[in-house]
Amino acid sequence: MPKLYRTREGTVSSVDVKTQLSTLGSETAPGPLLVPQGVKTLVSIIAAQCFNMGAATGYSALVRLEGPGLPQGPEVIGLGVGGVPVATGGNGVNRAIEIPLNIPVTSGNEILVFGEMVGTDVGSSEFVVTLVFA
Amino acid sequence: MSKTFTVEGDIATVDTRTLLTTQGSVSAPSSVIPSGVTKIDKIIVAASTEGLVAGAQSYFLRIGGNAVRNGEQVIAISACGFIAPQAGSDSSPQLMMANIYNDIDIAVAASDTLTIAVEGAGTDTGTGHAVVTLVFA
Repeated sequence: MPKLYRTREGTVSSVDVKTQLSTLGSETAPGPLLVPQGVKTLVSIIAAQCFNMGAATGYSALVRLEGPGLPQGPEVIGLGVGGVPVATGGNGVNRAIEIPLNIPVTSGNEILVFGEMVGTDVGSSEFVVTLVFA
Repeated sequence: MSKTFTVEGDIATVDTRTLLTTQGSVSAPSSVIPSGVTKIDKIIVAASTEGLVAGAQSYFLRIGGNAVRNGEQVIAISACGFIAPQAGSDSSPQLMMANIYNDIDIAVAASDTLTIAVEGAGTDTGTGHAVVTLVFA
């Protein structure tokens, strides 16, 4: 079975609030992220996030996966941390990382993808998360 | 045996599917899958912004076209953020070395065509640039 790639992105603007990633750029309503037919496993995620440097503080970033497509229940994955000493003059680029996993999935069922900022509110953070199925 | 295919282009704004169709001095590289190829084995990709506008955004890659057997595949590339420096100060450059995704295993059909697009999402932080290399096997 070749691998299949499903992606969602979104903006997380509050601390300690799980925020569903439900858009895909120009696709403002791509619909539920359903586990494709014929696959059995979430073999990895490929994800990146970065914040807008809007407040002089630091944070951590989590990806949460939930929904009936995950028979073992929710999963939470640490994606990164960040901070800036002053709120005038920060910038940065984070390349996506691939995190190998081996999580069983149920075809035809939905997986909800959330981003979450924890620690101190840094303004907002942009997340993009790809689920890799096989 | 591997065969590479590279395209690049500017990403002018967020929420716009931007096709990459050029390769520097080669203005129209062929996007036909070479004969004997059955899959995309690796992807080497980078995308970032100039950082001229305050905000945070992400970039992702769309691989589509008749050659992709299981439909369009969409893969995260990067995310970046920027806030304007104080007057009289300089901002550091926005640099991203390429990501290398191994064992990507996307099924393709030889002699059909690919479309490669990169798209930004979030708050526009200025014009971006993207470069994508596919390694066929």
